[in-house]
Amino acid sequence: MGNGSEEDYNFVFKVVLIGESGVGKTNLLSRFTRNEFSHDSRTTIGVEFSTRTVMLGTAAVKAQIWDTAGLERYRAITSAYYRGAVGALLVFDLTKHQTYAVVERWLKELYDHAEATIVVMLVGNKSDLSQAREVPTEEARMFAENNGLLFLETSALDSTNVELAFETVLKEIFAKVSKQRQNSTRTNAITLGSGQAGQEPGTGEKRACCISL
Amino acid sequence: MEYEDKAGRPSKPPSPKQNVRKNLDFEPLSTTALILEDRPANLPAKPAEEAQKHRQQYEEMVVQAKKRELKEAQRRRKQLEERCRVEESIGNAVLTWNNEILPNWETMWCSKKVRDLWWQGIPPSVRGKVWSLAIGNELNITHELFDICLARAKERWRSLSIGGSEVDYEDAGSSAADREASLELIKLDISRTFPNLCIFQQGGPYHDMLHSVLGAYTCYRPDVGYVQGMSFIAAVLILNLDTADAFIAFSNLLNKPCQMAFFRVDHSLMLTYFAAFEVFFEESLPKLFAHFKKNNLTPDIYLIDWIFTLYSKSLPLDLACRIWDVFCRDGEEFLFRTALGVLKLFEDILTKMDFIHMAQFLTRLPEDLPAEELFASIATIQMQSRNKKWAQVLTTLQKDSRETEKGSPSLRH
Repeated sequence: MGNGSEEDYNFVFKVVLIGESGVGKTNLLSRFTRNEFSHDSRTTIGVEFSTRTVMLGTAAVKAQIWDTAGLERYRAITSAYYRGAVGALLVFDLTKHQTYAVVERWLKELYDHAEATIVVMLVGNKSDLSQAREVPTEEARMFAENNGLLFLETSALDSTNVELAFETVLKEIFAKVSKQRQNSTRTNAITLGSGQAGQEPGTGEKRACCISL
Repeated sequence: MEYEDKAGRPSKPPSPKQNVRKNLDFEPLSTTALILEDRPANLPAKPAEEAQKHRQQYEEMVVQAKKRELKEAQRRRKQLEERCRVEESIGNAVLTWNNEILPNWETMWCSKKVRDLWWQGIPPSVRGKVWSLAIGNELNITHELFDICLARAKERWRSLSIGGSEVDYEDAGSSAADREASLELIKLDISRTFPNLCIFQQGGPYHDMLHSVLGAYTCYRPDVGYVQGMSFIAAVLILNLDTADAFIAFSNLLNKPCQMAFFRVDHSLMLTYFAAFEVFFEESLPKLFAHFKKNNLTPDIYLIDWIFTLYSKSLPLDLACRIWDVFCRDGEEFLFRTALGVLKLFEDILTKMDFIHMAQFLTRLPEDLPAEELFASIATIQMQSRNKKWAQVLTTLQKDSRETEKGSPSLRH
């Protein structure tokens, strides 16, 4: 998977980053889009955005990533941002069991507001802090399996699996899209979501390449 | 030919050096390095004509250098004069605020003269005092009350740190688990409040003050508790006031209708504020408004961060303080006027962007946003819509939403 040039892409996939406050969503994103990590990144209020275009085979896929605030109280606001998302990384901090214990609630919230066929990956972040681990890998893996989620443990700090996590989600979306395209006789009518916020209105050509699952 | 080339080089501007030169404060000596006084002994002597030409070129360069030097000196003198002027005017402003305005606050604060001075920015040395007076103390909070709330907060921290789960939480409104999470969250957020200043983090000089104000507030208003965004507001106040006065200003500030709506995450009321904002947006910047609509860029995407933190997270701190100055003078309306000022300032760039670029731009504004340009832009925004003012528009919309929305509202795009 290589980097495509920023403005030259065939597909736009909206991906949301969700999970409790302080689990490292913003750092995962900055590691993936800018290869940066900050020990003291600022609290996210509301939502922030980043993009990165990657090559999947011959197709350039632009990941449009919505980094949402983790605060419980903000849930009513941020859940609106799930609309039209075709991928999600549900992040917890593997050194804080509480952030894992509420994963089910996050999942429900996500399915209530996002596309039904959204690709979701459960991400246990901070794998560099193995001495402080509170969530056993197998437990989280089992939960993911039982709920039909992808699963990876990452470290935004030392970069472990960060690329792989985003890459896997994007590939999975891409596979679904390709399959759908084969099944669809009117490929040109396929759009990402249903023309809501986050949608690149684009030209006819680009619109034709935006996908809903 | 080759010799000529080499010898001729000094007359051309040496390009890599040019960049370096621009960064130097002082530069005349740099030209002397380029004189080729005499050739090395192993090379044939220059023809007289060529030597003459080079001398001439050299002299021209010296003249140029002197000119530049003079210009630079003039520029620096001007800069110094400008700084003196600014310092003098700040000095004068401090005198005016201290000797004339503050002692006669009640009668003077709404006069035209004071309002004009206010717009130019309150001098940092009186800023805290003015903010306190302007925010007021409707809640009648005393220093003693702060001490009581703080003592309670400290008790809770202690009992949490020794793992006491049987602490008696007498306050209604939220469960013990919520409160524990709230204290955890404060700890987490303090380290993420103005991290680049390195003063609020653990071990930093303002860490305990910020912790105290936020902790005391969760005891004072358990029904509101701690909400992200608060740490930024408390931090800005702490930079300008002592702890107890910062707490008083903080509590009263959060008690204002707009702040209460946001910090309680009163969804339908927030939507009403966004709707009111859009009325003025369409009126002031119709072209950009249409562009946003076309791209489905809703105001919540950028306003939430701006309103929750009163711009302290999104603008450079000194500029944010100037926004706070006028916010204290004009109230919530100014927060939305500022938003329009920002949008207007960047209208040309924004109209060329698509959804994602606009969203990225607005949630991460340029770090070098110039204060004077922003204020000039804000000044051109008239908060008038068909002769209606902000408060009127907001009231009408609130009435509408109460009448029409019986069901649960949602933030739909």
